[in-house]
Amino acid sequence: MVLRALRVSAATAARQTLAQPSGLVVTLFFYVCVVSVLSTLWRTATAANDGAVAGYSAVALTWYVATSEAATVSMNTRLIEETGEDIASGSVAVELLRPISVVGLRIATELGRCLPRVVACGVLGVVYARILAGPPPRLLPLLLAAPSLVLAVTCNLVAQHAFAGVSFWIRDARATWFLYQKLVFIVGGMLLPLEVLPPAMTRVALVLPFMAMAYAPSRLASGHLDLWLLAAQLGWLVLLGGLAVAVFSRGERRLQVVGG
Amino acid sequence: MRAMAATSRSAFLESWSNRAGFWTQVLTMVFNDIAWVVFWSLFFRRVGAIRGWDTPRVLLLLAVFTTAGGIVLGVFANCRAIGRMAGAGELDAALALPVHPLGHLLLRRVNTTNLGDIAFGIVLFVVGCQPTVERTAVFVLGVVCSAVLLTGFLVAIGSLSFFAGRDDAGDLGFHAMLMFAAYPVDVFGGAAKLLLSTVLPAAFVATIPARLVDDFDPRLAAALVAMAGAFAFLGWATFQAGLKRYTSGAAWTRA
Repeated sequence: MVLRALRVSAATAARQTLAQPSGLVVTLFFYVCVVSVLSTLWRTATAANDGAVAGYSAVALTWYVATSEAATVSMNTRLIEETGEDIASGSVAVELLRPISVVGLRIATELGRCLPRVVACGVLGVVYARILAGPPPRLLPLLLAAPSLVLAVTCNLVAQHAFAGVSFWIRDARATWFLYQKLVFIVGGMLLPLEVLPPAMTRVALVLPFMAMAYAPSRLASGHLDLWLLAAQLGWLVLLGGLAVAVFSRGERRLQVVGG
Repeated sequence: MRAMAATSRSAFLESWSNRAGFWTQVLTMVFNDIAWVVFWSLFFRRVGAIRGWDTPRVLLLLAVFTTAGGIVLGVFANCRAIGRMAGAGELDAALALPVHPLGHLLLRRVNTTNLGDIAFGIVLFVVGCQPTVERTAVFVLGVVCSAVLLTGFLVAIGSLSFFAGRDDAGDLGFHAMLMFAAYPVDVFGGAAKLLLSTVLPAAFVATIPARLVDDFDPRLAAALVAMAGAFAFLGWATFQAGLKRYTSGAAWTRA
């Protein structure tokens, strides 16, 4: 019953995304712009560094960037802000009347909204990276990058809900999305592979959840058959999911006691 | 002019009325911009200089880009919304006023978050870009030209929705312009570089002003001023032409 409700909600949201092709076009256009800029930057950098940077060739870096951007561009960047607003304004209280988990339904809906964009960016990314840089370094890791990409987006959505749940206690936590987004940019490996960071910073970034949101699928797509990345993503998904449920459960109790 | 000044003042006071919110938003954007400094520092630390660009030069680019972008998206915040308002027929209130509607629209709303960009850009220039009298003068010239060009471009592309009825072009143009302008255009070559210096003049938003601060070239400066003037005219002309096609949406907004 609960699973069916979540599935229907996700499917409805996905249909809404597909019913607004102009929004999808803007997302894809932005995706192409970002991949063009970053891949050009990295290819120029590898050309100036004997063909490789931190063990990545120009081809690998192009596939890396195409994947990391697909994982992030397809997200609603202001999800934390919007969820925080719903909580701070008290409008989330209406959702408590439903016989289903508030955070579960929100995550399922957002995932449904996001998946068509992920698929579109992923397909476009494969075509674009092939044209820009050539075939992928290795096929098997690239195939594994597909489920990893879905896991990355799911981890990101779940973490954003856990993060936004702070609004149950702090009234104006909306601006924190900037902070979260920049963590994904740098220590999540969206803009640059984690191996490019100073060694100590790489070690720290690899044990943070943000690596599951961009670095993991991108590392696979760039030809590295690191299966532990998928396991790490699953582990983080369970942990972040538990955290989001815990934050919302406590927040909802507070809302019922104190009021919205 | 007095009416415009009053409009601008009231927009700033509106933004300033919530002090805590004001500072939170400004500091949030400053933090956001610091992340870019971190990115570029890590990037060049690893790869070294490429095509004449290194950390100090990119920080200069970032100073110009954030200051000019902050002025456009912070002080003239509505320049991003003109397409949406024109398409939805929400300009009635601005058209009823005894001032030029474009000027009123541009000054009507301040986006507090982007004011943080202005603060960041100026501080970055002062702290990290070796300001001398000459360099500061060229920096100011570059920022002004960049802001004029960017405003003209966004107004022109937003005004296309007077004709198309939708603001998709405005959104696409906005994303493309900011994306390409934030990186040194010199990393691109051939046709892409030509495109970024003409149709989508991203090169003139930050790369060329930053180059002028480091190595002033009167001909390049003249090209920058001419480009800013051309896009300011293009923005104004497209908006004026679009107004003749405007259809009210019977929605009386604050515009």
